[in-house]
Amino acid sequence: MAVKILIPAPLRRFTEDRATVEVEASTVGEALAKLDELYPGIRERICESDGRVRRFVSVFVNGKDIRSLQGIDTPLSEGDEVGIIPAMAGGQ
Amino acid sequence: MIRMPRAAYEAIVAHARQEAPREACGLIAGHGDRIERVYPVPNRAELAVEFFAERGLIPPGRDYRPDAPGAIAVERFFMDPEEQFRVLREIEANGLEHLGSYHSHPATEAYPSRTDVELAAFWPGMLLLICSLREPERPVLRAFRVVDGRVHEEPIVVEG
Ligand SMILES: [Zn+2]
Repeated sequence: MAVKILIPAPLRRFTEDRATVEVEASTVGEALAKLDELYPGIRERICESDGRVRRFVSVFVNGKDIRSLQGIDTPLSEGDEVGIIPAMAGGQ
Repeated sequence: MIRMPRAAYEAIVAHARQEAPREACGLIAGHGDRIERVYPVPNRAELAVEFFAERGLIPPGRDYRPDAPGAIAVERFFMDPEEQFRVLREIEANGLEHLGSYHSHPATEAYPSRTDVELAAFWPGMLLLICSLREPERPVLRAFRVVDGRVHEEPIVVEG
């Protein structure tokens, strides 16, 4: 399944400034593994060592947070868009 | 120097007032040093208590029990992830650049807190606008960038 991964600005230093990367994958976890093969080191910015998505990162399939789907086991279909964003948070 | 239209300035102040005593937050977009549009994003701090706690960013002695939802949003913001993602796509679709974020300090000065400085590391170098309502009749809006943990202020010029 060819899917498109949307790379957020803070992670583009890993992807030679590319904003989108296409990979073949049938789950989100597989897509992130393929991304890491292309750009080593990027997956550990997104996932804990056990594979779960880090608390300060959200991963989306077609705009839906995978926490409300099946996490990194969420299946992918041809043409799906996998989004990644770090949290925006702060305080006073 | 950051330039912004009066409508964008007023939208941030109005959002800050509407959410007080909770913190308001949103994204800002434009071109280069010119802000053109601001996009409010819901504050979901009450769902991110563990996120702040694991970074030591909950003040000692404060009680943010799960049965007191919303309490943390008075002193923290955490943008709703799906909405943040949707707005980032919209900014791109509108042909604008994502320049950074804004949030309010309902009761403190318009200067980045320790929490702001630490969490700015996820989006290095982005513009950080802070709207203080410490004096409710005299809102203050200031702009900063945090680079390697150091705070740099950028003067704001409101146009129109
Ligand atoms: Zn703040």
